[in-house]
Amino acid sequence: MRNEKAWRMLPRRVLRAAENMAIDEAVFRLNRREGLPPTLRFFGWDPPAVSLGYFQNTSREIDVEACRQAGIDIVRRPTGGKAVLHEHELTYSLSAAVDRPLFTGDILGTYRVISDCIAEALRRLGLAPEMASDGRSAAGTPLEAYCFAAPSRYELLVGGRKICGSAQVRTSGSFLQHGSLLIDIDPARTAAVMRVPAQGVAASTTTLREQLGRAIGADELARVLRGAFEDTLGIILVEEGLTEAEEELKQQLLAEKYGTDRWNMEGKYDPGAEEGGGAPSDC
Amino acid sequence: MAGFQEDLFYSREHTWVRVDGNVATVGISDYAQEKLGELYSVELPEPDVQVEQDEPFGVIESSKAVAEIISPVSGEIISVNEDIVDDIGVINSDPYGAGWLVMVELRDLDELNNLLDAEEYREYVGEEAEIEE
Repeated sequence: MRNEKAWRMLPRRVLRAAENMAIDEAVFRLNRREGLPPTLRFFGWDPPAVSLGYFQNTSREIDVEACRQAGIDIVRRPTGGKAVLHEHELTYSLSAAVDRPLFTGDILGTYRVISDCIAEALRRLGLAPEMASDGRSAAGTPLEAYCFAAPSRYELLVGGRKICGSAQVRTSGSFLQHGSLLIDIDPARTAAVMRVPAQGVAASTTTLREQLGRAIGADELARVLRGAFEDTLGIILVEEGLTEAEEELKQQLLAEKYGTDRWNMEGKYDPGAEEGGGAPSDC
Repeated sequence: MAGFQEDLFYSREHTWVRVDGNVATVGISDYAQEKLGELYSVELPEPDVQVEQDEPFGVIESSKAVAEIISPVSGEIISVNEDIVDDIGVINSDPYGAGWLVMVELRDLDELNNLLDAEEYREYVGEEAEIEE
């Protein structure tokens, strides 16, 4: 039997948006069914992309034309929450069955466990993160649809501004949580695609570059985070790839869901009704 | 503290079922709405759609997560609660009443044996709560 303390770590890769979301969903869907260990992945985005929450209205929340002109992909996440521009960041995703002792079936409990790990990483970098104890709301403000506008409970702030935003989906005893740790930000560019005021972005958000006073590479950050997850949770992360079943489901989700405008723009997905003859389509 | 109603069946995926003849009314449990927190939106199937026990039939979003709604029974959707689309808050305030989600014409009454009664569900979620008569 597999060691309960041994989790799987997928290789860190920089991929396009559709592939990133297809991997996250495939790993989440099969985690419990295939009896796989909790799985952590760090990744990046190339080209940069805006991800929308499951229920968000694309044309209302973001400037689709501005994204296209700037070469920014648009993808809809399987998780809830608000829009995020993924550019200068390290993104994490964690999938696990909720009957694992660390994840007791409680949404906020899962947030807290993961935030504890990321907070430890930030402390190792010399920062003093705070965990938001109560959710604040940006509802009714011009920043309403922007993820980093207001911290939710157990999200991480440095100097009172949000540095890491996360979102979650749950089903049949498993969850997927993914989130963005900001390395740097261009408030004007973020504001342009999110249709929010640039001053609002700068006032609500901070980054590692700003806080550390230096540029930090994704490799260095991933190393620090990995150590913080292992030590905080008392686990060992074992590097492995996707299983055959995960790879197959990833390809299917890429072709039928995340590679389609129907899902990304309209939020519609009909499993099995493949578009474009099986090849993932660029959007 | 989460409430549990005696006359309902419950699933391990935190839905409840009220059976009247061969029609089941389905909603999410008080425990589930408490855990989800403030609800934002819900996506439900159209009438005539076939749903399967233990398969997702809808999606609900709260302030912190998107959760699939797993069907506790198999059959055909015969009614969808349109009122909650306008006021999703009733799922938080009245999960066993006005916050119902769909009505399903049951295909197989034996499937109800796979569900929990109020006492079993209370034990399953591990909470001390009074059973409402």
